[in-house]
Amino acid sequence: MGRGVVRFELNGQPAEIVTTDERILLDLLREDLNLTGTKRGCDLGTCGACTVLVDGRPTLSCLLLARSASEHSITTIEGLTPREGLSEVQRAFVEHGGTQCGFCTPGFIVTATALLRENPHPTQDQVVEAISGNLCRCTGYSKIISAIRAAGGP
Amino acid sequence: MHLDPFELHRPATVEEAVALADRLRGKFDFLAGGTDLLPNYKMHLNLRPNLIALEGIAELRGRSPERIGAMERLLDLERDPTVAATLPAVADAVRQVATPLVRAQATVGGNLLVETRCFFFNQSEPWRQSLGWCLKAQGDKCHVVPQKGKCYATFSGDLAPSLMVHGAEIEVAGTSGRRRVPIAEVYDAGGDGIRRHHLAAHELVVAVHLPSGARGRRSAYRKLRVRPSFDFPELGIAGAARFDGDRVEELVLAAGGLETYPRRFDEIAHELVGHPLTDERIRAAGEALIKQVRPVHNTFLSPDYRRKMAGVFTRRVLEAIRPGASGG
Amino acid sequence: MGSAGDLRLLGRRIPYIEGPLKVSGRAEYTDDIKRPGQLVGRLLRSPWAHARIRSIDTSAARAMPGVAAVLIGTKYPTPFGVLPITHDETALAVDKVRYIGDILAAVAATDERTAERALAEIRVDVEVLPEYVDPQVGLSPVASPIHARGLLGTNIQKEVTQHFGDVDAAFARAAQTVRVRGRFAGVTHAFLEPLVTVAEATPDGRLTVWSATQVPHYLHRSLSEVLRIPMHRIRVIKPEVGGGFGGKSDPLPHEIVCAALSLETGRPVKMLLDRDEVFLTNHGRHPTQNEVRIAADADGKLLAYDITALIEGGAWSSFGTVTTYYNGVLAMGPYAVPNFRYHGRRVYTNRPPSGAMRAHGGTNIRYSIEVALDELGERMQIDPFDLRDRNALPPRSLTVNQLRITSTSFRKCLAAARERSGWDQKFRKLPFGEGMGLGCGFYISGSNSPIHFSPKMPQCTVHLKVDMDGGIAVHSMQADIGQGSNTLLAAIVAEVVGVPIERVHIARVDSDVSPVDLGSYSSRVTFMMGNAARQAAESLRDQLLVAAASLLGYPIERLRVGNERYEVDHRPEVGVSYTEALHKAIEARGALTATGSYTAPPMGGSHKGARAGTAPAYSFAAYVAHVVADPDTGDYRATKVWAAFDCGRPLNRLAVEGQIEGSIHMGLGQLMGETMSYRGSRLLNPSLLEYKIPTPQQMPEVECLLVGDDDPEGPFGAKEAGEGPLVATLPAVANALYDAIGVRFYDLPITPDKVVKGLEERRREGRVWKGE
Repeated sequence: MGRGVVRFELNGQPAEIVTTDERILLDLLREDLNLTGTKRGCDLGTCGACTVLVDGRPTLSCLLLARSASEHSITTIEGLTPREGLSEVQRAFVEHGGTQCGFCTPGFIVTATALLRENPHPTQDQVVEAISGNLCRCTGYSKIISAIRAAGGP
Repeated sequence: MHLDPFELHRPATVEEAVALADRLRGKFDFLAGGTDLLPNYKMHLNLRPNLIALEGIAELRGRSPERIGAMERLLDLERDPTVAATLPAVADAVRQVATPLVRAQATVGGNLLVETRCFFFNQSEPWRQSLGWCLKAQGDKCHVVPQKGKCYATFSGDLAPSLMVHGAEIEVAGTSGRRRVPIAEVYDAGGDGIRRHHLAAHELVVAVHLPSGARGRRSAYRKLRVRPSFDFPELGIAGAARFDGDRVEELVLAAGGLETYPRRFDEIAHELVGHPLTDERIRAAGEALIKQVRPVHNTFLSPDYRRKMAGVFTRRVLEAIRPGASGG
Repeated sequence: MGSAGDLRLLGRRIPYIEGPLKVSGRAEYTDDIKRPGQLVGRLLRSPWAHARIRSIDTSAARAMPGVAAVLIGTKYPTPFGVLPITHDETALAVDKVRYIGDILAAVAATDERTAERALAEIRVDVEVLPEYVDPQVGLSPVASPIHARGLLGTNIQKEVTQHFGDVDAAFARAAQTVRVRGRFAGVTHAFLEPLVTVAEATPDGRLTVWSATQVPHYLHRSLSEVLRIPMHRIRVIKPEVGGGFGGKSDPLPHEIVCAALSLETGRPVKMLLDRDEVFLTNHGRHPTQNEVRIAADADGKLLAYDITALIEGGAWSSFGTVTTYYNGVLAMGPYAVPNFRYHGRRVYTNRPPSGAMRAHGGTNIRYSIEVALDELGERMQIDPFDLRDRNALPPRSLTVNQLRITSTSFRKCLAAARERSGWDQKFRKLPFGEGMGLGCGFYISGSNSPIHFSPKMPQCTVHLKVDMDGGIAVHSMQADIGQGSNTLLAAIVAEVVGVPIERVHIARVDSDVSPVDLGSYSSRVTFMMGNAARQAAESLRDQLLVAAASLLGYPIERLRVGNERYEVDHRPEVGVSYTEALHKAIEARGALTATGSYTAPPMGGSHKGARAGTAPAYSFAAYVAHVVADPDTGDYRATKVWAAFDCGRPLNRLAVEGQIEGSIHMGLGQLMGETMSYRGSRLLNPSLLEYKIPTPQQMPEVECLLVGDDDPEGPFGAKEAGEGPLVATLPAVANALYDAIGVRFYDLPITPDKVVKGLEERRREGRVWKGE
């Protein structure tokens, strides 16, 4: 029915795309822009696998209209990965076993990156609170939490 | 999952939004944070061909001790030290809504007007079609209480009771201008889960106003849910009080998550005024509240358990706000 | 085939080799695959729990613009199923639908919305049949059996009776007996990656299928059987998989339907199931009612088990025959019990089918036994640890039902858990509301028998290839589903050949090039793949040593494997590099290849079903949980679990810990609140919001105590750690809850309302506990 242009900042670059009013950001990212790093776990905001940063805040991309991204900055897992190698958080997840099947991992990396930017040395409780919207079925969260705290550094 | 097509409107002012709403004659939904609306839309629940996005309207933003714009994100409220200091029950409530990811988008207005919930409503289209549509979505019977001809979907928001006990009002904009309504009067008393509130179809919630008396109350909100995050309230009790020494000068009690609407318990509160909040009085208040609520079995926990917990949580709220307690 | 002396890599904490791809979002899962011209496949699911199909009219759907194909069951009526002896599923319903969610039709269209609108145009005419949801009812003949093969007109899918020794005599002379009746709601895997398949039929007559599966080989077989295409024309590829836990260990109907749609349209088709469809596919742990009677002598030595189980199967068999055996057979460890009787029945119901789920068949029975033993110990005033210890299965023994026990470090597990948890200072000594509990575990390290007997073949084969660049490519159909099997495979090869793990590349699972491994289920991968990998790696190493020997002028026996080097024993300065040896080796015949395989030794008794429960090794566990409970709300939390686990030699400590922690999370979920909740035949909570998997706040601290001794047959002494770690979780926490508040629970999940009711009942009965 309705269509329009969405202009937003995507991973630090200006993006402009024509899309329908009902297009969901997650679908736009994965299907129209081929950024498949952000995962689809439930489509209903009940698992956190689709987490991206909107203006630096971890947000569910499956519950955001693409057109609502207009004038905002969106960062996906691709945007949090450096050109060479991995970020501190990413490295920590690998070293500490914070990733098993890896499907929930991009969502956790996004959430964790935002947390550590704001609070580089979170307590156990602060980490638990920050990740309380991301589900994992493999790790029992233990190594995810230790990875995040390790990434913060001493 | 996909959304069916709709037209997205993006008004720049409240007046534009109201005019649009009036013109579209109920064939629309307001889009605030989208965290409640979009999952329901994905499940094809009561779809409308138009969405009026509220994000671009500056007047709906803003936070001060007296006024919270309807489009303020819950995450911002959670991080606001003024809210924590002046409206403890609201601070309790807001940090327990869903998850931090949802709170990044969810709004005050959206939470106040959150869609009522029921096991038989919040399901995919094939599921509902196979059982037979329910009263709240395209159908003519309630699957929870079949004989009554009304809807029992549960009010599932956390902010309403916690703002109620602080005497908050909402500012509403409509075709005939603006008006203020105490939050307690917004919701349909004894109504059903469909006709949830008294606002007209074209009316827009602009802001929540806190009268000066609202601040300075000791208050608390306690929420029952199955898991410590994600889950909607299976009940939520809020209480706010002003004390003269030990004695209660003013007290408001409210609950949500138990019935089709959130409400105050003024009789029970009244019993407590003029006296200290002793353990005995607190216990009696809990018992009295249990008798006044009738949850139905359309959430995860049984009605029996929720009623029992209504008593326990009432006690815990009152214990938290009494002078000398560390909470409140 | 025991351990090696100094291991360079194995035994440490080895980060997953594909970790960098996963953390950067670059790992390719099935839904990330997009084929040119790809269509969307969607399914029409039955709104009836039980009905005979009269007709399906797809004409309106076919005529819709954007619709490329519409499929119904009559086109592919060949039944299939994961077990050859119970092929009772069809890809789409043929004559009947058997549960709400059963697949009636499928559409391939240009986009999802078009496909959904086409599905809405399909007209189905049925004769509604009575629906059966109570397994008790299904034990007797019913008017409309769900499957024709149900025993004598009932809905019984499988019945198992076993009797070893003389159970009644044992009970007659017992000093003490105890009985527990357990009731378990069904639970499901809830992996994060939904079910999804991409299929592409190409004009050369080949069909390629990418699917989120744990069992690419079984999928390969079933595709061939149902689609009537020879296996060599079908190529099955397993991309990265986002968790399985048994929920992707059957060939599933949607996988076959997706492939069929591609054949029908000549175009690639992707079929991604919505989350509620994943719940409807289920194949989770069976809702079960069991009764366990235990007899003991005056010293607390176990004399007999008498077990019955009524298992609710849902609409299909899946692994159900195995489930029916396991619910009795797997009771026979970790304790020695000389007399054993079991009567188990699995009954079809008109509900989403149950199947294999982590610690399949060994979880519910373990709960009832461990709680019964807790009661027994209490009554006999024997400490729970002492009771377990005096009954531990000895190593190198046979259970009375002929399970071959080789290594067991169960007693070490007990000792470690007891000591580390401070049990003796805390058990029965903490204040009301706080408690400690012991629960033990036992699980197979790979089902000893393959499922298919024809053709006879090893259970795992591994191929290695290395060319002049020195990178070792490993081909095997072993399925990494997040448990780290790729990493272990690479580590074993690297260890044996003497190269860093970075030199080893696990090729993508592709039936065109990967030799068969049976898949990731029954915790077989470390043991079976590990042994096959070791054999292949030794063969490759030996080829390199031959080359090195000829370069150095020393006999092979004098050489040892160094660090990317083959050198003379005791004269390390004399040696050649890996690359030099490799280049020498390929001179005459080009790229080197090596192969290794594993077949489990024959075992088991001669009674019916003897093979069920046999395994080349078993894992053992002793967990202590510390629990705090809120008596007003019934809320409770495990704050810490000391998890003593015997997986033999842990080859990757990071992975083993991860499996233990993840298993505890899943076990806690089943105990505390996960439920497949039904109203009659209708699943009420097919969502991740209403199906309550634990959140981070609900996880206890876990201290892993890996105390296993090397297993004589496991690769480098290793045994499984994928499913066994779940088993001890539930009874440890439930027994701790009893210590905390004096109430026992036999009806899972133990939700707060049940705790409150239990406390009220205890008070009503006048029983005091720890002063309350």
